[in-house]
Amino acid sequence: MLHIAFLVAAREYLENLKTKGFWMGIIFFPLIWTLAIKVPVLIEKKGVPTRYFVVTDPSGKWKTLIDREVDHRHQREVLDELISHARRHLKRPADRADWLDHWSTTAALDEFIEKGGQAGFLKELDGLFEAGTPEFVEPRRHFQRTELPAEVTEEPRNTLVDRLRPWLKGEQKLQIQGEPVGLFAAVLIPEVVREAPKNSTKASDNNSNEGNIQFWSDNLADPALEQLISETVGRELRSAAYQARGMNQSAVQEIEAIRVPLVSLNPRKAAGEERVGLGDRIRQWIPSAFVYLLWVAVFVSSQMLLTSVIEEKSNRIIEVLLSSVTPEELMTGKLFGIALTGLTMLFLWIASAMGVLYLNTSKGSVAGTAENIPVDLLNLLQTTWLLPAFLGYFILGFLVFATFFLAMGSTCNTLKEAQNMMGIVMPVLIVPLLTIPFIPRDPNGTLARVLSWIPPFTPFVMMNRVTGHPPLIDVVGTLLLLGGFVAFEVWAAARIFRVGVLRTGQPPKWLEMARWLRSGA
Amino acid sequence: MPVDSLALQLQEVTKRYGEFTAVNGLSLSVPPGCIFGFLGPNGAGKTTSIRMILEIIKPTSGSITVLGSSSALAVRKRIGYLPEEKGLYKKMKAWAIIAYFATLKGVDSRTAKKRAFELLERYGLGAFAEKKSETLSKGMGQKVQLLAALAHDPEFVILDEPFSGLDPVNQEVLEEIVVDLRRRGRTVLFSTHVMSHAERLCDRLSIMAGGRKIFEGTPAEARAMLPPRVRLRTTHSVAPLQQLPGVTTVRQLPDGAWELQLATGTDPQGILLACFEQRLVLSAFSAQAPALHDVFVHLVGDEAREVKLR
Repeated sequence: MLHIAFLVAAREYLENLKTKGFWMGIIFFPLIWTLAIKVPVLIEKKGVPTRYFVVTDPSGKWKTLIDREVDHRHQREVLDELISHARRHLKRPADRADWLDHWSTTAALDEFIEKGGQAGFLKELDGLFEAGTPEFVEPRRHFQRTELPAEVTEEPRNTLVDRLRPWLKGEQKLQIQGEPVGLFAAVLIPEVVREAPKNSTKASDNNSNEGNIQFWSDNLADPALEQLISETVGRELRSAAYQARGMNQSAVQEIEAIRVPLVSLNPRKAAGEERVGLGDRIRQWIPSAFVYLLWVAVFVSSQMLLTSVIEEKSNRIIEVLLSSVTPEELMTGKLFGIALTGLTMLFLWIASAMGVLYLNTSKGSVAGTAENIPVDLLNLLQTTWLLPAFLGYFILGFLVFATFFLAMGSTCNTLKEAQNMMGIVMPVLIVPLLTIPFIPRDPNGTLARVLSWIPPFTPFVMMNRVTGHPPLIDVVGTLLLLGGFVAFEVWAAARIFRVGVLRTGQPPKWLEMARWLRSGA
Repeated sequence: MPVDSLALQLQEVTKRYGEFTAVNGLSLSVPPGCIFGFLGPNGAGKTTSIRMILEIIKPTSGSITVLGSSSALAVRKRIGYLPEEKGLYKKMKAWAIIAYFATLKGVDSRTAKKRAFELLERYGLGAFAEKKSETLSKGMGQKVQLLAALAHDPEFVILDEPFSGLDPVNQEVLEEIVVDLRRRGRTVLFSTHVMSHAERLCDRLSIMAGGRKIFEGTPAEARAMLPPRVRLRTTHSVAPLQQLPGVTTVRQLPDGAWELQLATGTDPQGILLACFEQRLVLSAFSAQAPALHDVFVHLVGDEAREVKLR
């Protein structure tokens, strides 16, 4: 029995491995993983060129403030890159951990600039880097203010935009160090900047633009410069307003710097380690990702199962098969074969995800920081019982659906008929997808507990609950229920399969299938 | 012959689907080492019977013994089967399909692969061994499927309409394969509605119609069921011949020739003599034993036509 089922499974598995769909599925996820991590970084570093903008400012005070802000933001980025660079390449980063942490604070920026910026920072670490450490490359400036093109005069001011239009539309290029570059934006600041009313940073509705700062740009996708201008000018206006009302500037700044000292603690963690870190938050959400993976695996395999049964049926290969193997053997073999395919896919996905995470992990990053997310994830996957739990529910959950699809496929003669039947099953598959965001928020609530006991939903819901410390009865009970349900399904599916596979013509009605179950013929 | 030494025995086997009776009280005995023809018009119940023999479906009543076992699945490794509707895994290579079915029948995978290549080579498909089955012609595909049914060297081979879809050359190749199987002591049961193959191959045959067996025996016994006939062509009146002793009926065939049916034991030579005596000018005269075709049409003709018209 098992030997034959094994032969069937082996053929099924090897044939699936040869299909394009399988390999596209395999490559798809790692590709998405990699792109999701790499692309934003790449775009940030390489894709976006330095953006040049012009400012007209009759009062003359804003230009300096804007220049200072642009430079500060650039220096912040240089500093962050330097910290990363040091963590990655220092011989003993642990010795300098505190020193590096100190630079991560907001207040450290002024000190950084004061002490000579990049050069000063690197001098401090002179001789502490590993041999072969690459030269530190200063990141590209995101924004750079430049002067008006030589052909354009600032006056008359009310028609300045018309004169700048060819540059703003990209028809004309600026010459920066002999290179032609596009003009990203023109910022027109009025003599007197109108203070917009509370709760409104947007300009007033009348089209006069009187008193508004005008931000002219045909790029609507990148709001960074717009925000920078608005924040810089806003800060200055507020500061002036404080002074006008006779308030002590430094006192105001101190008050604004007050932060609520709230720490999240988890009573389930060991004493002294109750602090909730980023890793803990991720842990709460990672099951959702797994649930989604199971869903995709079920969905992809359902297609494979249906196609595989229907091929054998429509080619009448089934008849030769059934003269060689029992329907039970054939069914078991197919289930194993497809389950193995699904597990292979899953294994490769997880392996590739861990691989991508590992490659993106830098040495010496600190727990709880965004940079350390990969490390937290890796630890989570390696140390908790999440993976075994996931595998257990995955396999049972997979069998619940695979068995069903197999029985269903056996009653259809064409893929079209099968797709019609899929229409009835889809709502059942959609429900767990809809619950993904809700279950982790209230993992032991009524909805979660009730859904846990409905077999087609059990694996999805329970996987989503495993990090929420469900009662033991729920875990053991649902596992038993799921096991029992799968056993019943296999029995029922074998009966339907036996009759279904030899049937031609119209697919049977549900009632008819129920009769097959009772009579077995 | 005792049941144990028969390759196949069916006793009063009936299969009903609701109101419809596909096979009705069928009894058969197939001795080992023979070629057994399973004849009958479309819808006679041949395929249903074969599926029951193979235990793919269960009979409503009656008993079936295959190679001494009441369960075909228990002796499945000794049985080879080519179904009526032919199909292959499209994406699999020819050799892999043959080897796969052989392994399902208990051949170890290395031997199965070796045998698959040998068989393909022997039957002129060596060049196609590595080709996916979807690239093969229909005839080639059918050959591959036949080889898949034979790769485990079964004792008992069941072929459902094996000749349909093959060109004359390949029909001949198939006949050779079947004869070769008998020479090696294997039992072959095949169904067909083309009588010429049955005529050339069968040691025994059974004719079915409407789910019932209407004949079982040797081809000679089948032919003996019909009286001898004489066929002649003449421009004169054949009326005097009707009066001759031993002539039961005289009828004109669609091509203009006349056919005289004779009573059993009548000598056709006497009819020729009588023609001369009556001074009939003959342009053709032949005396023939009835062909299996005639027996078949005689036995099931009305029923087959009825089925067709229904």
